[in-house]
Amino acid sequence: MNERLLDSKTKTKIAKQLKGIVGVEHITTQETDIVLNAHDAWPLSEAKIRAGEMLPLADIVVFPGSTEEVSEVLKVANKNKVPVTPVGGGAGTCGGTLPIYGGIQLDLKRMDKVINIDHKSMLVSVEAGMVGIDLEEEVNRHGYTLGHTPTSMRASNVGGFLATRSGGSMSSLYGKIEDLTLGLEVVLADGSIVRTKAVPRHSVGPDLRELFIGSEGTLGVITEATLRLFPIPEERRFRSMAFADVHSGLEAIRLIFRAGITPSVVRFYDPEDTAMSMSQHFDVEEGDSMLLLAFDGAPEKVDHEERVSVEICKENGGKDFGDGPSKRWWEHRYDMYYPTKFTTAGFSIGDTIDIVATYDKLENVYHAMKTAMEAHEAFVMSHFSHMYQNGGSIYMIFFTSQPDAETAWATYKKIWDDGVAACLREGGTMSHQHGVGLSRSTYTEDELGSSFQVLKKIKDVLDPNEIMNPGKLGLGVQE
Amino acid sequence: MIYDEDITQQIRMCAACPKMCRHVCPTFLAWRSESPTPHGRALLLHQEITGTRPLDDRAIEVLYQCLECSHCLTWCLPEIDVADIVETRRRQLVEEGRFPSGLNPMVDSIRTHHNPYKEPHEKRTSWLKTPKNDGRSLVYFTGCTAAYRENGIAEDAVSVLSSLGYQVDIPKDEWCCGSPLLRTGFVEDALGQARHNVEILNGMDAEEIVVTCPGCYRVLTQDYPKHGLEINKPVRHIAELLQSHLKSLPEFEIEGPLTFHDGCHLGRHSGVYEQPREVIERVSKGALVEMERNRDNAMCCGNGAGLRTLFPEHAKKIGAERVRQAERTGAKYLVTSCPFCKNMLESQAKDRLIVLDLPELVEMAKKRSHVKTD
Ligand SMILES: Cc1cc2nc3c(=O)[nH]c(=O)nc-3n(C[C@H](O)[C@H](O)[C@H](O)COP(=O)(O)OP(=O)(O)OC[C@H]3O[C@@H](n4cnc5c(N)ncnc54)[C@H](O)[C@@H]3O)c2cc1C
Ligand code: SF4
Ligand code: SF4
Repeated sequence: MNERLLDSKTKTKIAKQLKGIVGVEHITTQETDIVLNAHDAWPLSEAKIRAGEMLPLADIVVFPGSTEEVSEVLKVANKNKVPVTPVGGGAGTCGGTLPIYGGIQLDLKRMDKVINIDHKSMLVSVEAGMVGIDLEEEVNRHGYTLGHTPTSMRASNVGGFLATRSGGSMSSLYGKIEDLTLGLEVVLADGSIVRTKAVPRHSVGPDLRELFIGSEGTLGVITEATLRLFPIPEERRFRSMAFADVHSGLEAIRLIFRAGITPSVVRFYDPEDTAMSMSQHFDVEEGDSMLLLAFDGAPEKVDHEERVSVEICKENGGKDFGDGPSKRWWEHRYDMYYPTKFTTAGFSIGDTIDIVATYDKLENVYHAMKTAMEAHEAFVMSHFSHMYQNGGSIYMIFFTSQPDAETAWATYKKIWDDGVAACLREGGTMSHQHGVGLSRSTYTEDELGSSFQVLKKIKDVLDPNEIMNPGKLGLGVQE
Repeated sequence: MIYDEDITQQIRMCAACPKMCRHVCPTFLAWRSESPTPHGRALLLHQEITGTRPLDDRAIEVLYQCLECSHCLTWCLPEIDVADIVETRRRQLVEEGRFPSGLNPMVDSIRTHHNPYKEPHEKRTSWLKTPKNDGRSLVYFTGCTAAYRENGIAEDAVSVLSSLGYQVDIPKDEWCCGSPLLRTGFVEDALGQARHNVEILNGMDAEEIVVTCPGCYRVLTQDYPKHGLEINKPVRHIAELLQSHLKSLPEFEIEGPLTFHDGCHLGRHSGVYEQPREVIERVSKGALVEMERNRDNAMCCGNGAGLRTLFPEHAKKIGAERVRQAERTGAKYLVTSCPFCKNMLESQAKDRLIVLDLPELVEMAKKRSHVKTD
């Protein structure tokens, strides 16, 4: 995988052309830059970095400053049939930005401007390379929130959010990025620039905007987006409830939604995750599972939502923990992503399989995956989050520590293979928000079934030379 | 191995961190690339330590693109100090003779003229007049920037200190404190300057030493002792000194709010956050408005650790962003407590904000107030 593909003559030629497009200071062929730009936050890449391994490298990294420059770069790449891997914030968790076939990494970080805030329609138009937290802070200054709160907010950017169909911790209320996006600008593999109009709904054929949301750079480069805005809620109120088992907590969640209540946060920690994340700070009974809720809005609305939710929880055996655990989670939500001595020791590796399923299947998926993953000596802890009227997501988090790199990487793969297989067997879907990238690429066909052929045909038409992020999303895989 | 086991482990952790602090790294802002970032720098060092990949010239450049501002540390839960890690490797690079040649003029200038600005040593403080006073004796260590580039700060510092009743003395033969050398890895050169300064300062008859430059402050109070060089009198930054005379400071009606920029050496590196604010609040009668990023979350002005010497355009980009942050508060004045920061911020503020160093603000208050200082 470490073979870079371009011979030096082609590389020099292409680099020269790209310099002409973006300017000499916005392109690099220096190995140091290429090494540093190679990886995203895929736990396998991180573990390999710690183990001193080299990751696949691009030949050239280019930093265009405008849609027109992106277009010109793609024209050069397409003409020369050179792979192009778009890079957003580089904090994806699936290896999506790894340039496994070399070529060009097209990094959008210079395209970082807010284009317009439309106060009347409550919309913001923004370049794809703006980092999430920078955009949120900017709209906050005008009294708005994006309602998009992934924990990668500080590192990921708008293009990355869109390319992976990401979801924030408050997606129950505000929606995922696909619900929050009205219009897109995309550059296709041949350099043509396409725009989808920003309208709240339409009836002019299939929604082509959706085609690019979640396409992970395999169908084109997202250069601009028009996103929805919400007034900053008057109040955000937290509440927490512990349940004696996973089943009763899940029932309470299902019934809260059925009662027409939409909390902003719904996170339900299984006994292992409760023990890991809560027990240090709160007096939770061993074996209990903790439910964290938050409600956003005007005080009267929040009062009502909280009262009904608490009633439902209590009817299902919930023990009231007040606002403590939920509030604490919100205030410390970034903490668990920092490296620790424990999680980075030796050949340790962990990851999250963020599956999604309807309520009728959710519990079965959870138990089946847990069993399958634990069969490989993995420590597995989970929380249900991003819950909706019809079902929701489970964060199946695993961790394993092995004596050597080879065993660690192999064990990691087995846990993934068997975890995803169990998920699909029980009727779940293998990702709610992290996407596919490289880590799940080989499962895409099984996941999508007959519809995979449609995706493939679309890919064939939009990117006949297979230059766009080859090897990701099960597309453009070279034997 | 230049790093102990603990630091080696920290570098390993940081190398593969999911970029949890990158959003505050000013050099990420300036370059918008994954290279000049905290985890990027750690990854280069980790690969060197594990033997995966040696540092090439570009990697050395990336290490020298760090401002050593420690803003990343504020956001790092495992408390990994990339600035310190980078400085350690810079020291070694200097020993190996592998530092960027762009530093040579600065180093040569300090060796020859005892200031980084290639200015004649004899003109350092000869222009600075100190009035006779029979109060407590105090040495004012001006530092190179106030001596050669920001004379108003030095003059106003002397004036304000005299008004407070001090007999201010300026060392006859003050040399560069060594900060630019230490931060870029030239320890031996820095210690040459340091030894001289310690000798002359220790030979002066005064109760204490005051500095206006936080770079000098950090070096005199932390680096000198670390290298076994003890100054025989207390050293205070002027913000601390003024704060201890709060009630005697003049007050005035300022037209429009002011905001305060925390210099990295004074704030994050020395923990002096509240004293300058109390002084500003006093003299301006409560006109201080905070920037969104303040205290240990304040953004660097872009001037630090050799960046302005090596990459002036990128340093200015960072300074311009800090000015934008100040403008966002609606302030009319941007006050800092560092001549070096003032110099950068003023160059970027053009006429959009009035940029003042703390002694300049207090002097302004003195001139415009009717309150007598004792
Ligand atoms: C600490 C941490 C917490 C996280 N928390 C969440 C969370 O709460 N919710 C969540 O959904 N995800 C989360 N993630 C996963 C991930 O960050 C997100 O999925 C995010 O959307 C990725 O964005 P990025 O800008 O980092 O993308 P990158 O990693 O740069 O790219 C991701 C993929 O998108 C493609 N791509 C990027 N930009 C473009 C573009 N402009 N056009 C076309 N293709 C593009 C890339 O080629 C790649 O395939 C987390 C990750 C980390 C490290
Ligand atoms: S300094 Fe800390 S937060 Fe920043 S990249 Fe390194 S480990 Fe992560
Ligand atoms: S010390 Fe400052 S410039 Fe250096 S890596 Fe940290 S935040 Fe960036």
